[in-house]
Amino acid sequence: MRRSTRPSRSATRCSPSRAARGRGRVVDRDTAPSDQRDPKRTEEPMSATAQAGGARWSAQAGGGAEGQSESIGASRPTTAAFGRARRIRTHSWFAPWLLCLPAIAFLVVFNLVPAINVVVLAFTNAKMLSGGTFVGADNFVRMLHDDQVGTALVNGLVYLAVCLPFLLVLPLGLAVLVEKKIPAIGFFRTMFYTPVVASAVVVGLIWTWLLDDRGAINAIAKSLGLITRSVPFLTDRWLLLLSAISLTIWKGLGYYMVIYLSALGSVPRELHEAAAVDGASAWRRFWSVTVPGVRGTMFLVGVLITVGALRVFSELFILTNGTGGVGGANVSIVMLVQMYASGFNGNLGYASALSVLLFVVTLVPLAVIARVQRRTEQ
Amino acid sequence: MRNRRLVATLAGITTAMTLAGCGLSGAQADDAGSEPSSSDVTGEITGDVTLQTWALKAGFSDYIEGVIAAFEEKYPGTHVNWIDQPGEGYEDKLLAQASAGELPDVTNTTPAFGFQLAKEGLLEDLTQLDDELDSTYVAGALEGFQFAGIEGTYGYPWYLTTELNYWNTDLLTQAGLDPESPPRDFDELLAAARTVKSATDGQAYLMSKKPNLGDFASAGVKVINDEGTEFVFNSKDAVALLDEYRQAYADGLLPQDVLTDKFLGHTELFKKGAVGWTTGGGNFIAGAIADNPSLEDKFALSPHFGTPPLDVQGVSVPKTSKNKATAIALARFLTNAENQEAFADLVPGIFPSTLSSQSDFAASDGSDIAEAKAIAFASLDDARVLEPVQVSSAMSTIINQEIAAAMTGQVSSREALDTAVEKCNQMLSE
Amino acid sequence: MTIGPFLWQLSTSLKGPADDIYSSTPRLFPSDPTLANFIEAATKIPILGFAANSSLVALLVVGGNIIGATMAGYALARLRFRGRGVVLGAILATMLLPAESTIVAQYLTVRELGLADTLLGVALPAMVSMINILLMRQAFLAVPKELDEAAIVDGANVWQRFWRIGLPNVRGMVAVISVFAFIAAWDDFLWPLLVLTTPEKFTLTVGLQYLSGAFSSNPRVVAAGTMIAFIPIVVFFLVLQRQFFRGVDAGAIKG
Repeated sequence: MRRSTRPSRSATRCSPSRAARGRGRVVDRDTAPSDQRDPKRTEEPMSATAQAGGARWSAQAGGGAEGQSESIGASRPTTAAFGRARRIRTHSWFAPWLLCLPAIAFLVVFNLVPAINVVVLAFTNAKMLSGGTFVGADNFVRMLHDDQVGTALVNGLVYLAVCLPFLLVLPLGLAVLVEKKIPAIGFFRTMFYTPVVASAVVVGLIWTWLLDDRGAINAIAKSLGLITRSVPFLTDRWLLLLSAISLTIWKGLGYYMVIYLSALGSVPRELHEAAAVDGASAWRRFWSVTVPGVRGTMFLVGVLITVGALRVFSELFILTNGTGGVGGANVSIVMLVQMYASGFNGNLGYASALSVLLFVVTLVPLAVIARVQRRTEQ
Repeated sequence: MRNRRLVATLAGITTAMTLAGCGLSGAQADDAGSEPSSSDVTGEITGDVTLQTWALKAGFSDYIEGVIAAFEEKYPGTHVNWIDQPGEGYEDKLLAQASAGELPDVTNTTPAFGFQLAKEGLLEDLTQLDDELDSTYVAGALEGFQFAGIEGTYGYPWYLTTELNYWNTDLLTQAGLDPESPPRDFDELLAAARTVKSATDGQAYLMSKKPNLGDFASAGVKVINDEGTEFVFNSKDAVALLDEYRQAYADGLLPQDVLTDKFLGHTELFKKGAVGWTTGGGNFIAGAIADNPSLEDKFALSPHFGTPPLDVQGVSVPKTSKNKATAIALARFLTNAENQEAFADLVPGIFPSTLSSQSDFAASDGSDIAEAKAIAFASLDDARVLEPVQVSSAMSTIINQEIAAAMTGQVSSREALDTAVEKCNQMLSE
Repeated sequence: MTIGPFLWQLSTSLKGPADDIYSSTPRLFPSDPTLANFIEAATKIPILGFAANSSLVALLVVGGNIIGATMAGYALARLRFRGRGVVLGAILATMLLPAESTIVAQYLTVRELGLADTLLGVALPAMVSMINILLMRQAFLAVPKELDEAAIVDGANVWQRFWRIGLPNVRGMVAVISVFAFIAAWDDFLWPLLVLTTPEKFTLTVGLQYLSGAFSSNPRVVAAGTMIAFIPIVVFFLVLQRQFFRGVDAGAIKG
């Protein structure tokens, strides 16, 4: 794999002027991830050609890790001389595709085809064992009259509104804490990891044991004289939702903490040290060094939380054994998808239409996240 | 622009693939349905067949393997490949097998599974292939595999089970009730539940089960019309029954959590000693004592209230079977009187569905376990398949949700049942 | 509180025949402790064979994800090419569209590929998870650009930069996705149940079901089986969890 194709390729270099790229790298580092994610932004100071979009831009140069490539020119400029450097082809056109090949193969066969399948089925009355016929928007019209769909959407949005702030920040704080080398830290690390590795059955077991009307929490609260009647954690509409949210957060803490942990590794220690020298408190350093340092990861985590919250399934499922609570007031869209698609006479058409609805609904908060992200980068 | 074109092309290709391939799943199942059927059934009994059972490997391997060995001996040249599916996920597995057109030659089904498969034309109609059905199996069991609106019989009845009442004598005594004469009907049950509540200051319960469709049917409510085309369980009787449960719940005669439908069902609460009544099969006691040894000698038994539920297991032969003659021979062999009686001897509480074996299962030696078996056997005559085969899992979920809503008082019993019936009918008509 | 479930499960698995399984006041310590349940679980079913099958599936899934997600993540983060946006969009879009209803169609696909009743068929759909591609991409984005620049100056090609600079700096995330992939593969029940037919090929989650049959199941033995199935997850996790911190301990920026 050590082909050295570079010299010949460098002949085809092209060179949009990229004065803007010369700025102090170290200070700018924390924005690097987002820089790359959003080509429009990085190319702002540049010519109209570059602004036309990523595809065209890379069509010229064959791409390269953003602006770095211009550091290489015939004269091998030093890094300080970035500004006027010329852009070269740093990889062949097929290299990225070769790297993506396995992923794309899987993407197409096991994700894209089923996804398109779902969209197609949404406009049919297909059942599990019998093919369907095209029925236009019937399934979507039916949704309008299905009061459970509205309930499920409200549940999803409440879920999102509560989970997002908690799971965005808390796991990061935990990651910072458990990263420290203090006594007994192994115990705490393990404690937060445990929910990540626990199986749904075991989790359901312990949570119902805690929450049911004669469960541990009610028993303790009664013995302390706080309550006289059991709190209906599992039967009241909003309390059940709250219980499920707690369960999600409980599991999410460990999950996202692990992701943050690996991201923390790339926050340069010098920044912390510099801030410490400047007398910044730990709290300040968290907000001014750590958070910006993992901002890219934070946005990804935000996306994952959003997608997860709107798709909530297992938590509500294990707490209600699949019924979605009293009167079905605690169903989620995915529970409805499952309900309609399961069994021999599963209604694939309607279930698929519900999936499409969820897809569309998820786009809204994601667009908001993308907007916030763009704004914070400016 | 290029990007957009690429997306369009990609979408075009995948859509084409989707439609051509497994887009509308079930295409293959339809093919299977159009195969000619009975002509090749008269073939020779030889060659390979696959037998699929449901959750019998744990505990009954020896029995099944014994039956298979005897079959292979009786019909030289045959070879039976036995696969046993885990208890969980069996419906999904059957669905996947049916979609792929590869249901095993002899497949363990229940009336509900048999109905769904027969509806899609996937199973052989045994009435056309076997003249001895009526003279071999009890009528009630055969009826389990005969469905409204579909001509024919779609499964050989196999073993039968029913349920009876189990009472915790400690708890009854503690509440001042006579364990020798436990409640005999639903009204007495309610009264006894009230007594237990006041005697134990709400610490113990007698009832711990939210009613389901089976309970309605058991109490005499008509659930579906005779043609199997419309649910009718929103009758006056049904509303009255649900009102009684509702009142009982409001009075605290049942634990709050019965509404959540979570896994800790009434059988487990009974094993815990937290509730005094449960229903179970004829083989319930042995398992309960194994789980909780402290329950030993604390059982009182009585027949099920109303119409006891009949649970029928059967074996069906799919139209896709490549070796139908052998498959049918195996299905008959597995469900013949001799083999069924041997199975029933092995598992207390299950009973043969063959006519010739209906006399000698009532003997009781006085032990609780034998007594339970005797009560269950006596109940068999009255027992019926309570939940209509048309009820899908989605329908049960909705019925569950509505019943729970009524019990909390959010909606009236009438509203709840009307909604449930309406939604179920919509699903049924699709 | 977080380890409670396991203690409870462990306690059940150690209970002897004289102990009650269900009691109103949960008893953590068995009065009649025994290892017999573990022996029964291990001898009643070919638990080692099932575990080997599960390991193979998990290995394929973990390996597939490391290779597939890492390579794609690198390309999507570090290389500019026409169509990158499309690929990213498709990945995100398929994540947003719940495909819970397509499991049977998925089975038919695997069957078309001739992989029904094979362990490869069980592993295949999970071998490159879209979420892991996004995680790896994020990790690569965080690797300082100077490292790439310096390497390009030195004449390193894409593969060398990927191998020498990219990978060593994202080991933490590789460990993370390995753990996620391993757990998902190890715990999955319904999918292997649909794909596999031959009992000898069953994975552990499916095979453990043979401990509970139609009329006979001993919760103590089932709990013991569950504990046995749980051990590899813990081991895998403990081995890899140190990697999560590697970036910090060893200093992320090398070169």
